Amino acid sequence: MSRIGIILIMGLMAFVVRALPQLIFVGRRFPESLDRLLRYLSYAFICSIVGVTLFMTGGKFESHLAPARALALALTIAVAYITRSAVSGMLAGLLLVLTLSWLR
Amino acid sequence: MRFAFRFRQGMKAAIPIWIAFVPSSLAWGIAAQAHGMRFAEIVLMSAWVYSGPAQFAVLGPLAEGKSSVQVLVAGFLMNLRFLPMSAALAPYFHGVNRLKLLLSSHVVSASSFIVPYLQFQKERQDAGDSGLTESTDGYENLAFFLGVGASSFLVWVIGSAFGYAVALGFPTGFEEALKFILPGYFAGLLVVEMRGWVMPVVCLAALFLAVPGALASPVWGWLVTASLVAIFFWGAEQWKCRASALS
Repeated sequence: MSRIGIILIMGLMAFVVRALPQLIFVGRRFPESLDRLLRYLSYAFICSIVGVTLFMTGGKFESHLAPARALALALTIAVAYITRSAVSGMLAGLLLVLTLSWLR
Repeated sequence: MRFAFRFRQGMKAAIPIWIAFVPSSLAWGIAAQAHGMRFAEIVLMSAWVYSGPAQFAVLGPLAEGKSSVQVLVAGFLMNLRFLPMSAALAPYFHGVNRLKLLLSSHVVSASSFIVPYLQFQKERQDAGDSGLTESTDGYENLAFFLGVGASSFLVWVIGSAFGYAVALGFPTGFEEALKFILPGYFAGLLVVEMRGWVMPVVCLAALFLAVPGALASPVWGWLVTASLVAIFFWGAEQWKCRASALS
C-alpha cells in the first residue's frame, strides 16, 4: 500500500474514534455517579498528559531536567492557586524554567 | 452573534495552545522531511490524522516502508485516547445536529479537549451555584470548542508545512521554555478549576504515576495508570457513600 493510502486509512480510523462518541453520547446527562467517574477519569487523564509531556521526550525520562521542571510546575501551581489565574501560573513557571536553563 | 462571541472566546483560550503547537508542529515537519516524506504527505497527515503523538509514533515505520498493518495498528492504538475525550465532551453539545457534530469532531485533540472541557465544567458549576439548570446551549458550547479546536488545528497544519522548509534553530533555553508552556498551562487550569479535596489527590496520584506508567508501556502505560487512579478513588468514594447511607 502507498504511503498516501496508509495516511488516508489512518486518518479515517482516527476520525471514527473521534466521531462515534459524539453521535452516541450527545446531549446525554449521565447518572451522577457515572458523571463523577467521567470527571475523575478526565482530570486523571489531563494530569497524566502533564506528567508525560513535561518529564519525558521520545519515550525516555529526562532525569537531569526533571528537578528544574518539577520546581517550575510547583511554582505554576502555587501562583495559579494564589492568583486564581492559569496564565499567571504558567508565566511564573515559564520564567523559572528560562532562568534555570540560562543558569545551567 | 452569540456563536461568534463564543467562537472568539474559544480562540482567546486557545492562544497558549497555539504557542505550544508552533514548535511541535515545526518539529514534526522537520522530522518528517528528514525521514524522506514529501510535502504533500506531511501536510495531508497533519490535516487528516491530526494527532501529534500518533504522527511521530508511525513516522519511522511509515518512512521505512514497514508493513501497513503495523503502522495502522500503532496509529489506531495511539488515537484510541480520543474515545474518552470525545465521550466526555459530547454531553455538552445538546441539540446540535449530527452533521455539524461529525464535522467538528475532527478537531478533537488532547489540547482542544482539555480547555473546553474545563470551561464547560466551570460554567455548569456556576449555573448550578446560581440555581440555573444549564448555563449555555449546545451550539454555544460547540462554538467555544470550535474556537479552540479549529484554530489550533490550523496552527498545527500550517506549522507542519513550515517545518518542512524551516530548520529548527531555537536556543536550548528557549526550547526548554516552549516545552513547558502546554503542561504549565494545563496545570494552571486544573488548579483554578478544582474544588474539594478528592480531585487534587486524584490529580497528584495520576501525575506521579504517569511517568512510571509510560516507561512500562509507552503507548498504554500512562493511560492505564490514569484510568486506574480515577477508578480507585471513584470506587472508594462510592463505597464510602454506601457505607454512610447504611449507617
